Amino acid sequence: MSTPSNTDPVVLVRDVYKEFRKGETVIPVLAGMDLELLPGDYLAMMGPSGSGKSTLLNLIAGLDKPTSGSVIVCGQDLGKTSQSALAKWRSRHVGFIFQMYNLIPVLTAYENVELPLTLTPLSRKQRVEQVKTALEIVGLGDRMDHYPRQLSGGQEQRVSIARAIATDPTLIVADEPTGDLDAKSGNEILELMHRLNEEFHKTIIMVTHDPSAAARAKRTLTMADGRLVSDIQNSTATGTTA
Amino acid sequence: MIPLKYNLRSLSVRWVTTLLTCLAIGIVVCASVLTFGMIEGIEHALTSSGDATDLIIMRKGSNNELSSTIAPTAARDLINLDGIAKDAQGQPLASREFITVLIQPRRNAGGTANVIVRGLDKVGRELRPNFTIVEGRDLEAGVNELIVSKSISTRFENLGLDGSIEINNVNFRVVGLFEAGGSAAESEVWADLRDLTSAQRYNGAVSVVNMRVPEEADRQAIIDRVRENDQFKLSAVVESDYFEDQKSSSLAIKVIAYIIAAFLTFGAMFAAANTMYAAVSSRAREIGTLRALGFARSTILVSFMLESLVICLIGGILGCLATLPLNGLSGGTQNAATFSEITFSFRFGPKVLLQGMGLALAMGLIGGFFPAIRAIRMQITNALRQS
Repeated sequence: MSTPSNTDPVVLVRDVYKEFRKGETVIPVLAGMDLELLPGDYLAMMGPSGSGKSTLLNLIAGLDKPTSGSVIVCGQDLGKTSQSALAKWRSRHVGFIFQMYNLIPVLTAYENVELPLTLTPLSRKQRVEQVKTALEIVGLGDRMDHYPRQLSGGQEQRVSIARAIATDPTLIVADEPTGDLDAKSGNEILELMHRLNEEFHKTIIMVTHDPSAAARAKRTLTMADGRLVSDIQNSTATGTTA
Repeated sequence: MIPLKYNLRSLSVRWVTTLLTCLAIGIVVCASVLTFGMIEGIEHALTSSGDATDLIIMRKGSNNELSSTIAPTAARDLINLDGIAKDAQGQPLASREFITVLIQPRRNAGGTANVIVRGLDKVGRELRPNFTIVEGRDLEAGVNELIVSKSISTRFENLGLDGSIEINNVNFRVVGLFEAGGSAAESEVWADLRDLTSAQRYNGAVSVVNMRVPEEADRQAIIDRVRENDQFKLSAVVESDYFEDQKSSSLAIKVIAYIIAAFLTFGAMFAAANTMYAAVSSRAREIGTLRALGFARSTILVSFMLESLVICLIGGILGCLATLPLNGLSGGTQNAATFSEITFSFRFGPKVLLQGMGLALAMGLIGGFFPAIRAIRMQITNALRQS
């Protein structure tokens, strides 16, 4: 696997089709999708339900494979990669932020963030440092021993972000990260994501239904019926709401 | 590797289901260990009865003592053969013995069962391992007295100390209780040889002759002489070989026990599988998350198998512990070779406990396998959508 340089695209989606089968019925979800993301990009994907944005996100994150076309992320052609190699690839290159946080309820904040690090060759001491750093970045250095049920929704999502960045991945994918949060907490999460992009130069793809959230990204892609409708550079993208 | 604490804490969150499954597994393991302990006890009773330096002389063609008869003159000749060990008084360690079976009522209205009554020479006691009178006294010859093994005395009416029974309308009184190192003798009632044969109207009759022959060459010589002597029409077998053959009587019990254990284990596997299926389906999103984070399918398979193993091993340990208070407890069953009651003590040694834990392990592995397969076959994207 080649390591992309600063000018190589992190994500290269070419003529991608994706169909799902339900018995005899074939449901087309993506119909000839093209997309390119450079290092440091922050892309928001919008569109009505069923437009294919989450499917595209799953393909880019290596959670699913296209029916045809190619999805090359961090130099890896994901459509041609085996499931076991994909699992290893995800652990090295992708950080996940989910709408429902998806923390493991029986593990503490510390243990949740440490979980992806157990897949790396880091020593225990190095893991401790990485976890502490990630939790400090999201402002939860004092909540390490808390279980998810002892945290607010916003805090849970911050733990989820700490887990996503703990392995220092190239790409962060976020599926409606503010969808289950109140406005204040949602704003905090968006600020944090902006910081990850600006300060830590993380390439981020975010699926959202919220135009104000999309406006915080550098670029907004709108989809409908599995096709690209618009791809706009957000010149006013900032970390805080106006 | 997914940390084991993930599984342990998940089990503790679902503690009611976990506990019930552990109990179900524990009951199955307990029942199986009890059965294995019984088989072990029966085999021990027979094994500990056989001494490799002792010979049993029986009628040619007999395969157990009950069907054997020896002419009184031949019996007299046999106890004076060369090579037989001598006791402190210089008497040969050879005992003429007459064996009969009586039907006796069990205690607590437990029906009736055959009990072996053995008439034997005084020296016969020295041929049994660790023979000891534990209550009362030894019998006196000529006055129709009995001594009874302690375990038989607790299982049959009228055979307790000072009890009495009629043998062919002759009253015999129990004057003592004995133990004999857990051997087959502990399934017997003993009388004096002459008292018993005269009560049975078989004066001088002998079923077998038991003798101790320490030297192998002497033993072989006696075996050859007995076999080749047409006048005797007898055969000599080494006592340990005789009881080894008797073990076949436990074979049927053993086969039935293993079949029952297999069925119970099969049923318990469903309990374990059911619990693990519930665990997999309630944690679909967690499984999806773990896979998204990069945990391989094989890692998740191992993790769920381990969780199933933990449940079953805890159940197994509980099941084994539950049997320990019964260790040494005596029971009885029918010896298929003699059609009489054989008493035994439950023996839960390392072998039996390991068999029990082996069953628990099998339940955990097989019961956990299919739910674990379901866990790893989930589409990640579908699993992540589960509530």
